[in-house]
Amino acid sequence: MSLIDDPEFDSHVVKLMAWHFGAETGSPFWLGKLAGLGFDPVTDVRGLADLTRFPDVSAELRSVPAQDLIPRGLSDRPFRVYDSGGTTGSPKRIVDSGYRSLVTEWARERLIANGVPADGNWLHLGPGGPHVIGFDTARYAALGGGVFYTVDLDPRWVKRLLSQGRGEESEAYVQHLLDQAETILESQEIAVLNTTPPLLEAICARPRLYELVRSGVRAIIWAGTSISRETLTQLDDVFFPAASVVGVYGNSLMGVAPQRSGRPGDAHRCVFEPYPETTRLHLVDEDGTPVAYGERGRVRLHLVSEEMFLPNVLERDTAIRVEPGEGSTVDGLADVQTYRSLDDVAIIEGVY
Amino acid sequence: MSTVAPPAVVLDPRVRGRLVASSDRTRLPSVLGGDLADVGTAPRLLAVAALNEIRAHADGRPPASEVFTEAARLFATATLDGETPREYARRVCHATGLTATAVEQAVTDLTGELRALPATTAAELPATGFGDGFDTRWVPRGRTFAAVMASNHPVPNISWAQALFHGYSVLVKPGSRDPFTPARLLAALTAAGLPPDRAAFLPCSREVGAYLLREADRGIVYGGDSAVATWHQRESVAVRGPGRTKAFLDRAPDDAVIDHLALSASFDGGTRCTNLSAVLTTGPVEEVADRLAERLARLPSLPATDEAATLLVVNRARADGLREQVAALRASLTDHSARAGDPETVVELPDGSFLPRPVVLSADRADHPAVGTELPFPFVVVAPWAEADGVEPLRDSLVLNLLTDREELVEAAVREPSVRKVTRGPVLPWTATPGIPHDDNYTQFLLEPKGVVARR
Repeated sequence: MSLIDDPEFDSHVVKLMAWHFGAETGSPFWLGKLAGLGFDPVTDVRGLADLTRFPDVSAELRSVPAQDLIPRGLSDRPFRVYDSGGTTGSPKRIVDSGYRSLVTEWARERLIANGVPADGNWLHLGPGGPHVIGFDTARYAALGGGVFYTVDLDPRWVKRLLSQGRGEESEAYVQHLLDQAETILESQEIAVLNTTPPLLEAICARPRLYELVRSGVRAIIWAGTSISRETLTQLDDVFFPAASVVGVYGNSLMGVAPQRSGRPGDAHRCVFEPYPETTRLHLVDEDGTPVAYGERGRVRLHLVSEEMFLPNVLERDTAIRVEPGEGSTVDGLADVQTYRSLDDVAIIEGVY
Repeated sequence: MSTVAPPAVVLDPRVRGRLVASSDRTRLPSVLGGDLADVGTAPRLLAVAALNEIRAHADGRPPASEVFTEAARLFATATLDGETPREYARRVCHATGLTATAVEQAVTDLTGELRALPATTAAELPATGFGDGFDTRWVPRGRTFAAVMASNHPVPNISWAQALFHGYSVLVKPGSRDPFTPARLLAALTAAGLPPDRAAFLPCSREVGAYLLREADRGIVYGGDSAVATWHQRESVAVRGPGRTKAFLDRAPDDAVIDHLALSASFDGGTRCTNLSAVLTTGPVEEVADRLAERLARLPSLPATDEAATLLVVNRARADGLREQVAALRASLTDHSARAGDPETVVELPDGSFLPRPVVLSADRADHPAVGTELPFPFVVVAPWAEADGVEPLRDSLVLNLLTDREELVEAAVREPSVRKVTRGPVLPWTATPGIPHDDNYTQFLLEPKGVVARR
């Protein structure tokens, strides 16, 4: 199953090869790679399909000095560093000056099309600090003239607790977060709640807090972890029937892929689409070949922006490939799940 | 591969009598290969919703006891949710690998225990009328009860039926291989008049099961060491882990004794937690182990549906896991089953299933770590016991079978907290009558005494 024929994106790729591999404009990181590539990106890369010739450099983002990622052509601009979650080992770093702001403007329109109010206050019950989602959410609120509320949340601490079997401590931490959310919701008017599926589950298990969210919040945006189909059904139909429940798929490297508007005949409640100007998400099989529509594949990212060039990154997620809708140039992704090789639990002991 | 797989059975969560067709699905494999059922699972939010509903309708009032006797009759004889008793037995056979005979016995035992609930209750509670208006009432310790079941055997499902009997509202997470027994038992109870508000049937992940156990007022969890490990310290959860049932053999290993030990190890295919796992002996270890291995090697390798079958079968994936696990144990201990002409850990049967052969190994000391290893088929480690070892090697036993006249040791075993039940002589480990606890007083785990003093 081939990729979508997309001459516009091909010419975008060609244009940015000249930028990222130009001696005056490219980043020290990519210019340093040039000799070892075995091809000349400026002359040999003719479009999207050629991006798979690049090595997956994402692991190097854990250790390369972030300064080296900044294109020389943008050296007069202020940059800041964002981290990936750090699920596996040390976090990956990206640099950002104005790109994420552009993407959030685009993404906001998508959210509004899905029923998220264009104005009103936001509560972000998710990570901030080095995690870019905190920045994105604050920006959504600001673009609509709303006030931005948040609490401190360190997802790496939760992961550490869980990996060490300290489930009770992690549960106590979650309740500490929810206590703070409840305090905010008790006196402040919140139109949009941005959080993660596990925290939504925990909210629904606390009657008082759940009631505050159900009766006051007009839209709930979930992001950060995968969600099961039935969980989505429960959120939509049982727990928050009056609110818009909207998903955003994303991570620090790729940016955001908000849920697109539903269409008649959609097989999935929630289909994500990435920012078409710069991003392609391909769902591929074990050989790296794109899977057919309706099939599950592992996510392969190509990000081609002026500020960052991240070709051929194999993500830890899988999803079902969905045909692009009318007027769209990118495939959709549905039912995103964490990639894991089948780990059949060994039968240790007979029981009861 | 002679058996043609019938169409897959579809099962879904059920909350207060309402079927919830879940979008989250999982496949239940058959021991014959392929899939036996398509099971809808409950994600955490569905469990939250179910618990909220169940809790809102829980009132702690026990249903009429006739509900349970009638449910016993229906479970054994009626077509429930389109499932005949025969089809139920076939499903459990093909899902769990229990023999047809074992499932038939399990139906008899489970329904017998349902009918015995009033007798069990009476036997496990002391008299409460003290005259002159002084009375003690036994009432549920809470309103909601969570049961996290295993799949090794149908009979443990009595535990949550017992909670219902005393007035709890119940949430059941079925074992992943046997959702059929709890689904059928709930259908039988409902058909017999149990108010639908009292129960939810929630196939789900271990994490969601843990959520139910944390949130419910009382609960029970069945499983291997890793499944039950986190629950030991929680007063509200009864833990049913590996049984590590042992025998102490202090007499000549004659045919009668060997037959008794072999049956203790292999009854119901060795799937019960009360099946024998270790023998500590004052006599010749080699001779005891050889004779037990020879006796067990005579058990035939037959498909589970054969009337003469006694041993458990498993599917290919489980067989591969067991083969690997047992290979390491066979290599590190003396392998008496191999000597007895039974060297294969698993044999493939013509119907596509795999049969783990009984394994008897011996260790050279009582404190060998393999003593007490419990596997879901007849697996026994024989080890020496000397006076100096004392009661130590007999610890951590759900049942301890004492074949000895050493009264001092018997007394020490009875007083040993980690020994949960003691049998003397050729008594099968699971032998009981109402009032004989399986593991502590389960009725008093569910109920607490409350003083009621009345004056006119």
